[in-house]
Amino acid sequence: MKKFGILGIFLVLWFGVSLAQEYKVVPLGQGEWKDFTVGKYGGYLVVGSLDNPKTFNHHIAQETSSTDITGMLHAGLTEVNPITDMVEPALAKSWEISEDGLTITFHLRQGLKWSDGEPFTADDVVFTFNGVIFNEDVRTDYRDVLLVEGKLPTCEKVDDYTVRFTLAAPFRPFLREIGGAIYPAHKLQHLSRVYNPDADPEALNSVWGVDTPPEEIVGMGPFKLKQFIPDQLVVIERNPYYWKVDPQGNKLPYLDGVKYVIAFSLDTIMLKFRNGELDVYAPRPEDIATLKAEAAQKGIKILIDPTKPLFGTTWIAFNQDCPNEKLREYFRMVEFRRAMSHLVDRQTIINNVYLGLGVPQWSPVSMLSPFYYPDVPKYDYDPEAAAKLLDQIGLIDRNGDGWRDFPDGTTFEFELNTNAGNTIREQTCQIFVADCAKVGIKVNFNPINFNALVTKLLGGQYEACLLGLTGSSEPHGGANVERSCGGLHFWKYSDCEDPTPVAKRIDELFDLGVKTYDFNEAYEYYKEYQILAAENLFLIYTVNMLYRYAYYENLQNTAGFSPLAGALGFAEVLWKKNPNMVGNRIG
Amino acid sequence: MGKGAVLETAPFLFYTAFAMLSYVARRVLYMIPVLFIISIISFFVLQLMPGNFTTAFKLNPRFSKEEIARLEARYGLDKPAYIRYWKWIIGIITRGDFGYSMETQQPAFDALFKGRLGWTLLISFGTLIFTWIIAIPIGVFSAVRQYSVADYALTFFGFIGVSIPNFFFALVVLWFLVSVLKVGERGLGIGGLFDLQYVDAPWSWAKFVNFLWHLLPVLIVVGLAGTASLIRYMRGQLLDTLGQQYVLTARAKGLRERVVIWKHAVRNAINPLITMLGMSLPDLFAGAFFAAIIMGLPTVERAFWNALQRQDEYVVMSGLLFFAFLLQVGNLLGDIMLAWVDPRIRYD
Repeated sequence: MKKFGILGIFLVLWFGVSLAQEYKVVPLGQGEWKDFTVGKYGGYLVVGSLDNPKTFNHHIAQETSSTDITGMLHAGLTEVNPITDMVEPALAKSWEISEDGLTITFHLRQGLKWSDGEPFTADDVVFTFNGVIFNEDVRTDYRDVLLVEGKLPTCEKVDDYTVRFTLAAPFRPFLREIGGAIYPAHKLQHLSRVYNPDADPEALNSVWGVDTPPEEIVGMGPFKLKQFIPDQLVVIERNPYYWKVDPQGNKLPYLDGVKYVIAFSLDTIMLKFRNGELDVYAPRPEDIATLKAEAAQKGIKILIDPTKPLFGTTWIAFNQDCPNEKLREYFRMVEFRRAMSHLVDRQTIINNVYLGLGVPQWSPVSMLSPFYYPDVPKYDYDPEAAAKLLDQIGLIDRNGDGWRDFPDGTTFEFELNTNAGNTIREQTCQIFVADCAKVGIKVNFNPINFNALVTKLLGGQYEACLLGLTGSSEPHGGANVERSCGGLHFWKYSDCEDPTPVAKRIDELFDLGVKTYDFNEAYEYYKEYQILAAENLFLIYTVNMLYRYAYYENLQNTAGFSPLAGALGFAEVLWKKNPNMVGNRIG
Repeated sequence: MGKGAVLETAPFLFYTAFAMLSYVARRVLYMIPVLFIISIISFFVLQLMPGNFTTAFKLNPRFSKEEIARLEARYGLDKPAYIRYWKWIIGIITRGDFGYSMETQQPAFDALFKGRLGWTLLISFGTLIFTWIIAIPIGVFSAVRQYSVADYALTFFGFIGVSIPNFFFALVVLWFLVSVLKVGERGLGIGGLFDLQYVDAPWSWAKFVNFLWHLLPVLIVVGLAGTASLIRYMRGQLLDTLGQQYVLTARAKGLRERVVIWKHAVRNAINPLITMLGMSLPDLFAGAFFAAIIMGLPTVERAFWNALQRQDEYVVMSGLLFFAFLLQVGNLLGDIMLAWVDPRIRYD
């Protein structure tokens, strides 16, 4: 018996050497992490959440109340550095791209473990892509972004720690997009019809629903699920097997976990934050004054960075295919759209609607994207220029009633929609309508229910509307909007059959932009696209909200709070000076 | 023989109990077709809403049209409404299956009730009891001292209570706790059912006390409108009754004023209020809805509202059936209680 024991120890030592864990070091205090410090362990971060998670299945989850949580439970082959926005190794420690740009080989970190202690290998990666993402049974919006010329990449295992992807054509966004959550084969493989023909086609959609016992939900992320009490609380706790360490070799994350307190109104979350029940809060513009007044006394820090607007854009669209033929003719004139852009008083909108917390947007690409080109042509507020343009295209007041008329003498008027209940959008519309009236353009403002608006928009039945689109660092994310045949090309669906030269060129630029792995070359393509979009004003961009964040000063390593990192992209390096403190209270 | 003896000693009682039972049975049977008709109407009214569950996905640039078409096919949303209704109602009749939530992939009943039904009933009935305990004595007081300063003050309070919007009052109460009383400095939380450290803790005396602290503002907010209107009703009814001849007779007999008011007048004045009690049940749920959103309470109403916004069809339908059922049960309870307090009422 004793012999066996000694042998056992030797075996453990031997495996211990060969399976040295290849952890990723987060260089806190160095390079772009210079404002960060090595922290101490303990404490829960307490945040407010507006709704229950609807599922814990990351690839199925649709709304932030779910993805804010599932994002913490999983990791991908690559990840985006939340400070530099560059792609970095994650579960893959390195990769090679072949000469022709078609084959990408990932080398995985060795010796990593899932949150339940099972080993992580290439089988998990191959299962995630072949068995889940590329599996048409699964209702995920992750599949379409990996399509290259309409084809999915192939994914194959080379050895236990090497995976190879083959693309139909070079695809620059690939390294960023491939960073989606890797799922555990040992937990889910039997539910995929790719591996088990007898599986229920719905199984991978319904697995890891909100009723799942927490220990069943296994991931590679910094945290794992601990508890979910509907309408009250979600708790995630430290994943003891997480694969990142600080420069001193301490395992991350520092926090014991995160508690999401569910409250259904921002008013309540704000009051809870002020009451010292939450550690962090993303204040609305109207909250800033209140928080500033009591910041010193309560130990609240407020972060507003005028160089950091949120991702996404807000715009006014004119339907160039709208059912009213007389309107359509004018909506198709670039002079008309420029006149409309001259009537958007962005500074007044920023001051009155965004309470100063906004910046004008001119390009379809989000300002924080490395592809953003700031010097596009701008048609800023200038009612006189607008009036001149309108005179030029023959929209003049023909009967002296104060409104400009069509050449046939009837009043030129159009309906402007936005989604009812969004006060920022409604107020922006009202300012625009008033400015239009000043130059004799009659706009009938009609806010309608969001779903009704979407149906109208995608059915091409609207005249003009003010809405927003989400954005990201990657301009290719807008392909479905910008391409002439894109499903969201709602300002002119007829471009698909009969593209204008500009639409054709934008299609080309989007193809060229993804075919090179060279950033500078791609930048030139997206620059040309941004200039074309700004000159032609297919969408008239308005104003972007600035990023705002407030937190109690007990929380450390907050230097990088920014829209790039999402709400809590830094959770793994956050730590609390006093781990027993929530907000400004010891409890 | 034993049976006969019972009959002889209490024939009237037996008759009443039997009539009552058959009456209740009949009422319960009537409920079924009513619920059925309600379900048909509400399902087709629901179809008038623009869009469906997949509409929200359509503005997501990462979803292709084909993917959305697949989604619609999976949920049967590409089928006409009457087929979907038929499948749903057959599921209920044959399997007791109320459909599923498209959003959370749970059975519709779980999506609505799990972790909520108990709290909802506690809050609603807690408020009901709170309302009656407060309102009836005040209403009586107000009627007995008609046109006194106190009566005017209470009347004024009543009008404010009825007219103040529920959600606004909830916000005011929370704001008052945070900004004026500064309860945070005493380590107390606002909103929800418990402070954070008690939410996932096992029940203890401290947790119970903390629960009462969180329940009190809810009772005040949800109960305010009900209390105010109940006071007005009680006052009005009692004033009517106090003018009746039998009250005069009672006084003439030399009965003490307390006995005259509580035993003779209130006993009769309260009957219409009991009928109202049954019907007030759905009102309570509606009132609790706004408070639930502002105060962050786990209630069925909010889950229902969420489903309505997401057009999560079967959850909405199950919710509507639940509320319709509740209204009917409330009415029935009201009628039964009326029979219990008023022996003049007979069921034939």
